[in-house]
Amino acid sequence: MKKMLFPVLLIAALLLSGCGGQTPPEAVPSEGGQPAAEAVELKFMLWGAPEELAVWNAIVDEFQAQNPGIKVNVEVSDWTAYWEKLKTMLAAGTPPDLFAMDAPYYLDYQTRGVLKNLQPYVDANPDMLQGVYPQTLEAYKTAGGYFGLPRDFQTIVLFYNKDMFDKAGVAYPTADWTYDDLRQASKDLTMDTNGDGVADQYGFTADLWDMELAWSSAIWAHGGDILSADHTQTLIGEPAARQAWQVFHDMMFQDKSMPDVNTAASYGLDLFQAGIAAMTPIGHWAVPGYNAANFQWDVAPMPKGPAGSATSVNSAGFVVAEASEHPEEAFEFIKFVLSQSGQTRLTELGFAIPVLKSVAESPVFLEQQGTTINQQAFLDSLAFAHMKPVFKGYDEWSAAVGDGMIPIWTGEAELNATLDEIVKAADEVLSKNK
Amino acid sequence: MEAGLKPKGRERLTLWLMLTPTLIGLTFGVLGSILATLVLSFTKWDLLTPPQWTGLSNYVALFTDQKFSRALLNTFKFSALYVPSVIVVSLLVAILLNRKIRGLGAFRTIYFLPAVTSAVAAALVWNMIFAKDTGILNAIIGVFGGSRLCWICSDHILTSVLIVNVWGAIGEGMIIFLAGLTAIPREYYEAAAIDGANEVRKFFRITLPLITPSIFFMTIIATINAFQAYDYIYMLTRRGQGDSSFPVIVYSIYRNAWNFFNYGGASAQAIELAILVIALMGLYFWLERRYVFYE
Repeated sequence: MKKMLFPVLLIAALLLSGCGGQTPPEAVPSEGGQPAAEAVELKFMLWGAPEELAVWNAIVDEFQAQNPGIKVNVEVSDWTAYWEKLKTMLAAGTPPDLFAMDAPYYLDYQTRGVLKNLQPYVDANPDMLQGVYPQTLEAYKTAGGYFGLPRDFQTIVLFYNKDMFDKAGVAYPTADWTYDDLRQASKDLTMDTNGDGVADQYGFTADLWDMELAWSSAIWAHGGDILSADHTQTLIGEPAARQAWQVFHDMMFQDKSMPDVNTAASYGLDLFQAGIAAMTPIGHWAVPGYNAANFQWDVAPMPKGPAGSATSVNSAGFVVAEASEHPEEAFEFIKFVLSQSGQTRLTELGFAIPVLKSVAESPVFLEQQGTTINQQAFLDSLAFAHMKPVFKGYDEWSAAVGDGMIPIWTGEAELNATLDEIVKAADEVLSKNK
Repeated sequence: MEAGLKPKGRERLTLWLMLTPTLIGLTFGVLGSILATLVLSFTKWDLLTPPQWTGLSNYVALFTDQKFSRALLNTFKFSALYVPSVIVVSLLVAILLNRKIRGLGAFRTIYFLPAVTSAVAAALVWNMIFAKDTGILNAIIGVFGGSRLCWICSDHILTSVLIVNVWGAIGEGMIIFLAGLTAIPREYYEAAAIDGANEVRKFFRITLPLITPSIFFMTIIATINAFQAYDYIYMLTRRGQGDSSFPVIVYSIYRNAWNFFNYGGASAQAIELAILVIALMGLYFWLERRYVFYE
């Protein structure tokens, strides 16, 4: 019957398409028509902007030219999609061979046994870590050895809008600046340009949700700490830390030289890039975007506190999946990215600082195209940089703190009492994730 | 159902074959997921290591979880305003578009467009409309001498979220009400006109009672949508990588599962959401017997 044909075909097609998706890689013939028995295909997944794919593909081309037996397929997704995809693939038992890792999340994966221990491979290649900044390696060290390695790093520095400073007649930030200097300059730079009684230009803006950009540096500079060394106690409510919180609170609600979180959100744009805020602490990843801004800007180290200078350092790296069938080949690729030529290529991206000291201190990093900023400040900051804490349950802990703070930064909640509550909630997360 | 509508013999086979793809999807995709969620809600599971049975502890934890209570409260507030708003606005639009006016098709298309537009794209545009300094909405307020509002701040967030969600739902609602309106026999109105009834009277005495089935249907659809509202709200209210300034249950489920490695807890929240919706549906069907008229 004609009527029957269509539904039957439809079902057949559905069933076939469901089953036929997996073609074994061995069956794919190489370009010459020969069966490529020994060609190993690696799947490498990372987060990033679309333009990063081109750079990674260039790195891969170079790697493949030196290692004809290995083919690397790079897949770039945006930050949120990346972690969703990664978790799903890990749970399904079909993870990419090699994937990018952000140091704070590292232990969330490592402690759950989905990462390959790279220590034996590192031991077999003792030279490869020579010349790598030790601070960047620290995050990936565990009692069992390295389960991942850094590929680049970020120190946080103070970005400032030179045009705004010139216009207001304020001296540029220096390495000797204190938080009091920051506060004073921020006041001097805040202006109501259209006379409606509301500031249209702010001296300073910072993301206070995550610790990385502003508040961890401030707490360390005031002699406080974020967590106890064993990661069982949240210390952001200790007296020294409270001094740091008070600085931002005063700037926001007393001086009004820093927009509150609602005001900042209502602009819908990065306030520094939009030319609304004169200073902001951020990492090197912002440089390519800010280069497109139509004003002059530069960078300076983070200000000093009563306990001296401090900033934070975080490194992005890679890990190999425990389930990968080709860990040796994956490690070869890591080795290549950490080599002189791999690091040089990666630096040309402009988003990060190479972990290889020789590349970071060379013109490749210091004299990057399209920018004349003080790149040295990013390297100098390492001398007083603290590692962004790495512990199991980081994401949930930082949400407990960041979300808990929002009512403070909108002006709805009182600082000190709210801090007490946050510390309690954050400690609960820590005990849960032990 | 009338006997003549029952399929027989060959027809029946065709019917089942046609339904098979959907049934397969429902069984494995939907029912399977529901069952899995139910089972997982009694476990502690981080996705990467095997689940551990923890009994009711996920449910007990929900009672003390302030974040969950906040999300629950927001969801209720939102739903309580959203359901009547959607019904009233889409009914009004449907009544206007049920008249014989020029360019009827174009207007119907315009009102239906939000239903087929990607929520992310639409929310991005709404973000521009709501922007404090450069937004169109504040520009209009400015023309009338009002002061600029912070639309996505805590004071106005509920209003803003409501506007966008109702805007997004008018299309579907309008279609449902149009179907109900066109099904009303014209003779009723003609008879009423002869009796001297005015438009208002016609609406309350003829239109409204006869479209109660559509209203009932819309109430159910809108309630379910309200409790599951997520995309617009997330896009409008999230702050960087942080929490949303207007967290709702679905966002809470998402974060627990995908950010906090807490799939068990997220499953318990999902089950609780389902129970709430089912309970409300029970109430609706009880009310239906009293207030909904079928011809």
